[in-house]
Amino acid sequence: MAYRVLLVERNRLMIEQLAQVIAQAGDNFQLVARYQAPSDALGQGVLFKPNLILLDIDGQNGVSLITEFCKVYPEASILCLSERWQADGVSQLVQAGAKGYLVKPFTAEELQAAVKAFAKSGMEVSSKVMTFFSPKGKSGKTSLIANLAMTLGRRTQEQVGVIDADLQFGDLAVFFSLKPQATIVEAAHDISFLSPVTLNNYFVPVSEYVHVLCGTAEPNLIDKVGIEELESIIRMARSLYRYILIDVPPGFNPTSIAASELSDMVYVVTMLNGGYELQHTRRALEIFKDWQDYEERVRTVFTRVTPCDMQEKQRLAQELGEPVAAIIPNAYQVVSEAADNGSMAMDLEPDSELARSINRLAEHIIGRHRIRWDQS
Amino acid sequence: MAEIEQNGAIVTLFSTASAVGKTLVGTNLAAELARGGYRVCLLDLDLQFGDVCNYLQLMPESTIADAQQAFAVEGDHARVEACLTPYERDGIIFYVLANPSLLEEAYNIKPDTVKRIVQQLQTMFNYIVIDTSSMFSVLNLSMLDISTVVVFLGIVDFLPTIKNMKSGIDTLKKLNYDRNKLRIVLNRSNARTRIPMDEVTGILGETFYHILPNDFQAANASIKSGVPLVLSQGGDGLGLALRELVRRSTNQHYEEEPADGNEKNSGGLFHRLFGKG
Repeated sequence: MAYRVLLVERNRLMIEQLAQVIAQAGDNFQLVARYQAPSDALGQGVLFKPNLILLDIDGQNGVSLITEFCKVYPEASILCLSERWQADGVSQLVQAGAKGYLVKPFTAEELQAAVKAFAKSGMEVSSKVMTFFSPKGKSGKTSLIANLAMTLGRRTQEQVGVIDADLQFGDLAVFFSLKPQATIVEAAHDISFLSPVTLNNYFVPVSEYVHVLCGTAEPNLIDKVGIEELESIIRMARSLYRYILIDVPPGFNPTSIAASELSDMVYVVTMLNGGYELQHTRRALEIFKDWQDYEERVRTVFTRVTPCDMQEKQRLAQELGEPVAAIIPNAYQVVSEAADNGSMAMDLEPDSELARSINRLAEHIIGRHRIRWDQS
Repeated sequence: MAEIEQNGAIVTLFSTASAVGKTLVGTNLAAELARGGYRVCLLDLDLQFGDVCNYLQLMPESTIADAQQAFAVEGDHARVEACLTPYERDGIIFYVLANPSLLEEAYNIKPDTVKRIVQQLQTMFNYIVIDTSSMFSVLNLSMLDISTVVVFLGIVDFLPTIKNMKSGIDTLKKLNYDRNKLRIVLNRSNARTRIPMDEVTGILGETFYHILPNDFQAANASIKSGVPLVLSQGGDGLGLALRELVRRSTNQHYEEEPADGNEKNSGGLFHRLFGKG
């Protein structure tokens, strides 16, 4: 698509700089007009039929600016420009009609990435963040996350982000066979300079819909990812992805707590191994009960359930004394084979019990969250 | 008394993957050492979700949280032994310092205090066996530092586990411990697995100090009954292999048998060596 760009930027020097960047952005970008004053842009820019508006919102009422530009330019996409990414106001900007957000000054690559990221769907404002918590390790949750992410992407054709916040033994890179250049450590390091568009570059695409922010390659002896940085990453990712799945280290620790707090849903995942797993799950759930909205926000999942049927699910719920949202069958052979060669267990055996149970969980996730702002 | 005090040995069970059998090996290690006449304390440092008391069916009245509280109030006059829970069977006895009963308590255990607790235990016991959680936490690192021997347990089920085992071993090597302090033990050697053993040792770049056979049923029965395998009658392959691990680890009846991952029936070898006993 050819973009006819209208640039609105108050600062005289900045407008020069950005105009040059747009000129270098490639053949599909043409700067058709630029104004320092929004009122000039509103009154005169129509003569040049722009379809992409880069609109400076710093120090002004962004919402009313966007509303005005939407009225005058109903066919154009509006990307907000600001010196800093501010997660708090984004949903209002998007509701007012903005498609995306760029931190200025931006590079030609970032402009291209922004258009690519936001052109189709616009920025997400109704994303659903899910943390997968396990009392102890060996819960089967990483495999569950990988398969669930692929299923969500395929079924909704919407963008899915996976964040591996298990800083010592993150396995998602192995599950997806990735050798990432950038990981969560680099993203956390750079986060104060990032916006959703540039954060997107730290995620590795594994399909048309699924993107993974990988964990560290080696165990992190000193936490290189601070809790504040992790929180910023999660908040910013909300603007990029419709569904965000977070893998956290086992047990209660600053990372798993912070991710859970920021999540719309926490899945407490436990693998049944014939030991004391139910007791551990119950203990963990007790802690989450401090949340007032515990019942809406916490779900229990058991993996390696044999036999994997309704009766067993009911039996588990009874023994646990809590509802059980999903049970996943024992699929060691296929999961192991899949993990070893980087494919998804669901793809190897799409008709299996495993695939069916993951599909059911995916439907559950899709079903309960239908409201969107950016449908045009 | 003119004697110089002896500080007991610390054997820490560590792994970088979960559910590899640390607790099962830990309870058996403690029981077997106690059977050999040593004074033994088993310390559960999987603070949040420890299973030592579950596996031994103990109902502790005090835990490490009480010990920490005692240190906070009484300083070095605190007596850790008041917080221990005995495990006794057939005249064999060892002690357990249990993990906290509340998760809130577990979250607030301080590594420095644990170190002081362990140091006090060293003056009372010949062996302190430490069960850990599977991560390089501040607490675990400080325990690894003061350990006499670190038993690094691994299992081979699929590639992510082996990757974690390797990165765990590589990280341990970076800590620059004496080479013979670190002992890599493979659990469930003949479990159903898709990965051949020579490939595993190839990836790890390490040979195993000891190999424990897979015996899920015996292990599970022991967990359910609350009796360590080494104490139950007519020890099976796994129980004997555990005894052998303790013998080797403590240099009793040291048998230099190379660990061989291909042995199908490890019981046979051990029966030959110990069948008369």
